[in-house]
Formats: sequence, C-alpha cells, structure tokens
Amino acid sequence: MESQWLSLLDVSIDFDQSHLFFPRIVTWILVILLAMIVITRYRLLVPGLKRAGRVLAGREGEFDHKRFFGTLALTTAYFYLMSVLSDVFPNTGYSFLIMSVVFVFLLSLLYVEHLTRRLFVILVLNALIAPALAWYVLAQLFRITLP
Amino acid sequence: MDILSHLTPMFFGLIAAGTLIGIIFGAIPGMTATMAVAVCLPLTYAFGLENGIALLLGLYVGGISGGMVPAVLINIPGTPSSITTTFDGYPMAKRGEGERALKIGIVASVFGGLFSAAVLFFFAPVLADFAIKFSYVEKFLIILLALTVIASLCSNMLMGVFSGVLGVWLSLIGTYSITEGGNGETRLMFDFMEYYLIDGFSLLPVLIGIFGLTTVLLDAEKGFKDETGQGPISLKGGAKFKFNVFKGQLLNLVRSSSIGTFVGILPGVGGSAASVLAYSQEKNFSRDSSQMGKGAPQGIVSSESSNNALTGGALVPLLSLGIPGDSTTAILIGAFTLQGIQVGPLFIGNNIDTWYLMIIALLAANVLMFGIMYFAIRHIAKVIEVPKYILYPLIIMMCVVGAYAINYGIMFDVWTLLIFGIFGWVAHKIGLETVPLIIGFILGKSAEVYFVKSIESYGNLSIFFTKSPIAMFLWVLIAISLAFAIYLRLRNRRQPTVES
Repeated sequence: MESQWLSLLDVSIDFDQSHLFFPRIVTWILVILLAMIVITRYRLLVPGLKRAGRVLAGREGEFDHKRFFGTLALTTAYFYLMSVLSDVFPNTGYSFLIMSVVFVFLLSLLYVEHLTRRLFVILVLNALIAPALAWYVLAQLFRITLP
Repeated sequence: MDILSHLTPMFFGLIAAGTLIGIIFGAIPGMTATMAVAVCLPLTYAFGLENGIALLLGLYVGGISGGMVPAVLINIPGTPSSITTTFDGYPMAKRGEGERALKIGIVASVFGGLFSAAVLFFFAPVLADFAIKFSYVEKFLIILLALTVIASLCSNMLMGVFSGVLGVWLSLIGTYSITEGGNGETRLMFDFMEYYLIDGFSLLPVLIGIFGLTTVLLDAEKGFKDETGQGPISLKGGAKFKFNVFKGQLLNLVRSSSIGTFVGILPGVGGSAASVLAYSQEKNFSRDSSQMGKGAPQGIVSSESSNNALTGGALVPLLSLGIPGDSTTAILIGAFTLQGIQVGPLFIGNNIDTWYLMIIALLAANVLMFGIMYFAIRHIAKVIEVPKYILYPLIIMMCVVGAYAINYGIMFDVWTLLIFGIFGWVAHKIGLETVPLIIGFILGKSAEVYFVKSIESYGNLSIFFTKSPIAMFLWVLIAISLAFAIYLRLRNRRQPTVES
C-alpha cells in the first residue's frame, strides 16, 4: 500500500529533454508567483503603472529626465563606439582610452549643476588624467585586457 | 611554512590600500562596500588569489566601516548597515562631539570585526567538515533553505520569493552543461541569441551592473541633489574621545557583535538588519537606555560593532557551504571563480594556506581600518564632500574594465553590464528584492544540478524528505524560517507604528 503511494512520486527524466526539466519547473513557479502578486496587488498595480507613466513623461513627481536619459544615452553610445573603435585598434586598449576620455568629460558635464570656468578646467583634467591613469596601470602595468 | 612566503609587504600594502579605498567608498553616501568590491575587482586580475583576496577583504572591511562617517556628520548612512549609527551619532555631532562619536564607532567596529573573524576561524571549518558529508539531496535542500531564509526576511515575502526564483530562472539561460551531466542543449532563449548566450550571463557583469550602474542611474534620476540641505558638521573642537567611554560596554559589544555575526551567517540578510537588531536589543536590555536616540555612545557601540561583525559572519556560509552571506560576499564568489577556485565544503581543506591567509587578511584589515580611521578621521571626513559628477563617470569606466576583462575580452559582457544596470533600476522601481535575486542567480545552476541528479539517482521525489536525518532537519529549518516570517508579518500588522 505504502509503495503504491510512493510510486505516485516516481519521476523519470528523458536525457534528450533533460535541459528543459528544471527550467520548466522554475518557469511554472515564476508564473504562479507572478499571478499571486498580480492578484494580491491588483488594486495598486494599475494606479502604480499610470503614475510611473506620468513620472516618465514628466507630468508628475521629481524625475531628472535630462540626467537619467542622458546617462543612458551616453553610456550606450560609449559602449557602442568603444566596440566599433576596438576593431580599429585591436588588443591595445586605445579604444577604451579614447572613448573613456570623451565619456568621462561628457557625463561630468551632464551632472554638473553650475558650470564655471574653473570647474570646466577641473572636468577636462579629470577626463584626461583618470582614464589615462587607468589605461596605463591596467593595460600596461597589469596587462589586463581592455577594449 | 609556505604561508609565510605570502606575507609580503605587497600583501599588507594591498590590504591597506583596499581598506582605505573601501573607507572612501563607504564614506560617500550611495556608494557601498559592495560597489567598492565590484568596481575594484579588475585590479585583482593582475594579482594572484592571495593578494587579490587581500585587496577585496580590505575593501569589504573598509567599506562597511566608512559608512559611519556620513551617518555621524550629515545624518545619512554611507552604507545601509550604518542606519542606526545616525540615531545617536548625528545628535552627538550636532552638539560638537562628532570626532568623539566617530572614534567610538571606530573602536566598536574593530571589536566587531575581530570578534567575527574569530568566529569565522573556529566555526567555518566545523561547518565545512559537516557539509562534506552532504549528498546531492542535502545540497539542494541547503540551497532551498538559503533562498527561503532570504525571502522570508524580505520586507515583502512574496516579492522576495519571486525575486529569488527570478534569479534562478536567469541563471538557467544558456547551455545545460555536459560537464555537469547535462545534454549540452540550450534553453530559455531564441535561436539568434545562442551566439551571445551559449554560456548564459556571466556572473560578474551582472553583479557590477546591478550594484554599480544601477546606483548611478538611481542618483541620476534624482538629479544629484544635496539630500541633507546643509553641509557636513565640522570636527574641529568639541569634546575629546577617551577610552573610558567603553567602561560598562563589554556586554553591549559582545552581544551586538554576536548578533552581527549571526545575521551575517544567515544568507542574504543585510547589514541593516544586523544593526537594527543589535540596536533594539541594547535598547531593550541595557540598564539605562533613556538617552538612546539622543546621542548616547552605547547606541553607536551597538550599531557599529554589529555591522562590522557582519563581515566575518557573511564569510562563514561562503567558505563552508559556497553560499554567499550577503551581496558583497556574492561578488567575492566571482573573484574566487576568476582564480579557478570553487568555494564550498572542500575549499578550506583543499586550500589551507589560502584559508589562513584570508583570516590574516581579515584581522589585518580590521587593525588597519582602526589605524587609518582613528588617526586620519578628520581627513577622511572630507571625502563626503567629493562631488559625484567627478566620481560617477569614473565608476562607470571601472565597471567597463571589470565586465570586459572577466572573460578576457568579450564585448557582450559589457552589454550585460548595461542590461543588468537598467534591469536593477527597474527592479528597484517595481519593488523586486536585489539580494534574493542575486543569490538565486548565483545558486540557480547548482540547484538544477543537485535537483536533477537526485531524481536521476533515486527516481522518486520522496527522497527529498526521506534521504537522511539531515534532510529532515533541513525541512524543519525551512518550516521554521517560513513560520518565523509569518509570525513577523502578523506582529508587524499589530504594531505598525513601533516597527516604522
């Protein structure tokens, strides 16, 4: 009798499909949990999404669009151009060095509240010295692979 | 002894450098010990395992300790674990005792750090010896227990569980590795993704994205406004620090350090939980707690000794079971993997020299942290004024180095950093819990191997309950952690104002 009950828990895994066995279980658990979250929080969900939309559109709340989307755009451009330039200078780290100088300067400029002449010089020096130092120490001294 | 050959000036120099950089990261609000370790990880590529670990442990200890500086001077915890330091540190600073408050915190921190290093030294090998006997079933249940404990202690249990399972799901993307007994097929992706995701997402770019880039995005969204509305309090003048302030504080130190170490051992429970728990225990059990919250040294002692005790505690499950105790030790797993070392029950036995060096590095990091902070606190305090428009671009630059170098030059790892940086920001907005997600991501693949192997070996699900007394005991622990979580929810519902 006991063995009959236990046989209900018998599981065999087909080797050809074994790569999907555990992911399917996890996916189902994930779907069930998501459904539970939606059911228990549905009252908060729709107003929350609406509010998020209004904040992103700049109609409500304090959200610095310029700095947030500027960071995203500059970072994406930094990664993309670094990738392109690394085909021109393969295995030298020059791509990293050149793009980092430009990126550090532009991002600093984006984040500064009140730009003065003195601050501008500081930002330029920071953008030149810090990436050059990082490139020299990492790529030249420590031989770390850089784009 | 071979170990002596590693104790070079370079070894101690790296600990000192790591501690100093960690303190600076910790002292800047919004930048954490985890971020320090993530950003500086590329530096360890060039060093061997021992020197690399020395640097990272210095960063860890320094990062946790540095959090007290803005907590005392501007009422903002530099790291989440310094939250309770603000309760008494800031009132003391306002009445001109800022330097005294910081030095009390420094001494308490070094006590907590050394206490937890001792616990790590004596407890981790015992736990590892015990865990060596585990079969696939018990190993799977240990992971299940870890995820249950993490999720049950989240502010929202359902979201915590969801985050942990999502982390597991993300880790399964890629090939079911033949070396792990799999069939070499890919899953959870479209065909066009196979070129990039054949080995899944690399751990370190994921971590660097979530802990580095996400932080920058969260601050960029706020526009880098000065949250305090006022400058930091000056340390000049005021009452002098004397060691006799610790008279009668031994019990507080030991209790808070024990709490910090214990919370560190629990996987995924953050430092803020340790310091809040230690602070509330001091408030409940001390003879006179009437001044706590108004600038009482005992509050700083409990907060700082507990959060530094977290460091050794969090290394216990990492080095004995292969399960990270917190987000920073999760990154340390990546550092070990980078050097070809797998942490787990066999780690200490197979790498005895590395183990002793880690203990020495942890002790040295605490002593050096004390030396650096105690004697240079006035200079360190100035760090909180370093503008983020200088720091954050450099942090993203270092994140790129870390992500790109991890697999010796894969550009997709840099894109992974961006993907998970944005994902971390979205997760923050919709209330996903980062720590369960990361720990689920780290343990997901192992969970799959242990689960599938158990079923392949025994062919019946009942084996998870009946394999051994240890398996049954682990189920009892899982049930207790769930029951404890439910009890906490019910209690919080009854006493919402006290908890808030």
